Amino acid sequence: MMPAAGDAPGGPAAERRDGWWQRKRTRELALVACFLLPSLVVFFLYRVLPLGWNLLLSVQYWSPLKPARWAGLDHYEEMLLYDDVFWQSLTNTLIFIGAAPFAIALALGIALLVNSDLKGAAVYRSIVFLSYPLMTVAVGIIWRWMYDERGGIINFALRESGLVAKPIPFLQSFEWALPSVIVAEVWQVLGFYMIIILTGLQSIPQHLYEAASIDGAPRWAQFWRITLPMLKPSLFLCAVVGILNSFTSFDLVYIMTNGGPGHATELLITYIYKSGFGQTKFDYAAALTVAQFILLLALTYLANRAAGGNAGSLERR
Amino acid sequence: MRQRGTFLRHATLVGVSAIMLVPFYWVLKTAVTNENIYAYPPRLLPESPHLFNFVDVWYFIPFPRYLLNSLIVSALVVASNIVFNAMAGYALTKSFAGKRAILLLFLSCMLIPFQATIIPAYLITSKLGLLNSYLGLAFPLLSTIVCIFVFKAAFEAVPQSLVDAARIDGLSEWRVILRVLMPLSKAAIATNVVLAFIWSWNAFLWPLIITREPTMQTLPLGLARFLSYMEDTTGALYAFAVMVLAPSIFVFLMAQKEFIRGLTSGATKG
Repeated sequence: MMPAAGDAPGGPAAERRDGWWQRKRTRELALVACFLLPSLVVFFLYRVLPLGWNLLLSVQYWSPLKPARWAGLDHYEEMLLYDDVFWQSLTNTLIFIGAAPFAIALALGIALLVNSDLKGAAVYRSIVFLSYPLMTVAVGIIWRWMYDERGGIINFALRESGLVAKPIPFLQSFEWALPSVIVAEVWQVLGFYMIIILTGLQSIPQHLYEAASIDGAPRWAQFWRITLPMLKPSLFLCAVVGILNSFTSFDLVYIMTNGGPGHATELLITYIYKSGFGQTKFDYAAALTVAQFILLLALTYLANRAAGGNAGSLERR
Repeated sequence: MRQRGTFLRHATLVGVSAIMLVPFYWVLKTAVTNENIYAYPPRLLPESPHLFNFVDVWYFIPFPRYLLNSLIVSALVVASNIVFNAMAGYALTKSFAGKRAILLLFLSCMLIPFQATIIPAYLITSKLGLLNSYLGLAFPLLSTIVCIFVFKAAFEAVPQSLVDAARIDGLSEWRVILRVLMPLSKAAIATNVVLAFIWSWNAFLWPLIITREPTMQTLPLGLARFLSYMEDTTGALYAFAVMVLAPSIFVFLMAQKEFIRGLTSGATKG
């Protein structure tokens, strides 16, 4: 066993007293095991085990109080061939994720503006970030009210400025509901993207820009050749957050539209919830979850490829 | 030229900030509004603002009960996060066989969103007999991977000479952790407190699934319930929203640096 840099008490004295060193080593290992145990139990019960159980459920006929029967790929067949709601929620989820690049571009713009010696940059940063730590249920309620047909400020502004003659029932209309929910989601997560990008910007060595300036490279060229390539890991991380948000936006959709009107704002996660806990089709909901998980892995893989292939690898840690 | 650039930047940023702040203003304005909130055109400034809506929320719905439940769950989560994450973070500063596997496991667990596990997680909690209990509400959040790495980084930053000196003075392993490492990792503790509080305070989907009785509901559930039977008809709903938002805004403004460090530490380095 290699002594680790720093923490092994493997001095010459310890080597002479081999037995003592062995006992010390065993005690240390026991300590490590005990210290890791609580966290491992939590992650095993609520991350690892559910993943396997979910897969198992998805190939069974199962409901509470009834013994499980093997179902093979029946649930997947039903989902892929006969379930229109599945396809609609999949499309909506993809649109939801597809909005992320625009939000990230917006956040990049804001980050570039506040990442300077500008006076008050910290205040702007806090304001943009302020919406991120808020309770999403309350955020949904606020945005419902902003979109309201009669009392909402958005319709008020549109009507006063003469852009529309009649108020738009944003959350009740089939065309507007999904974009409206996405705008609210972007409002909440924008500051998080900005913070990730700012951290990336601050880790770009200043001398790269100095060298480029000496060579006479214009500002836009510096942006394309230095800033953007150096930001790749941060942008990858933003993309992962954007993909994960299609899962975590359950709260927002549940409060703002509950998937409606019809299934116009149904996401996979809200559909999973409804199938599982609304109709107690746990087995079918498990198959839906597997589908969404595969989507998540595929998109993350693609984002990783786009970012150069090794973003988030273990070596960086 | 340069001055004009600065002016343009300020103008843009003021515009962005204004857009970001409008929802805050609108909910606050509605919460203190007296008149019919559906009057058109809506007034931009509240006429004779008052706090009756807040009083209504406190007395006419079981707000104190929701608050108590939320506080108990948050306290459980915050306390266990400090203890469990510090323990795991400390263990990860040691070298041992299988450390790489554990790190890999943690990193891949980070990629599993909790929402993707709700069906089996519900069944597991039910098998443990923890449905409708505070422990059940808190369980999935008792330890968080990001915060383990925050502690690991903090412990690694403590100079080794200090730890060695403490050992030579005869301090046991436990004492070294409690007397030397923890006091030097105050920033990591603060990060843990802030993140654990925000996550548990805001959690909605999990409580929605595992609480059956109104007496066990937390604030987000109470808010959603209030919305479902009052619709958007009363200023009290917005007063309720303001009351649940206030603690997170307060915590965030007090500990912005720790909060951001925690969120980005998983992002930039382990």
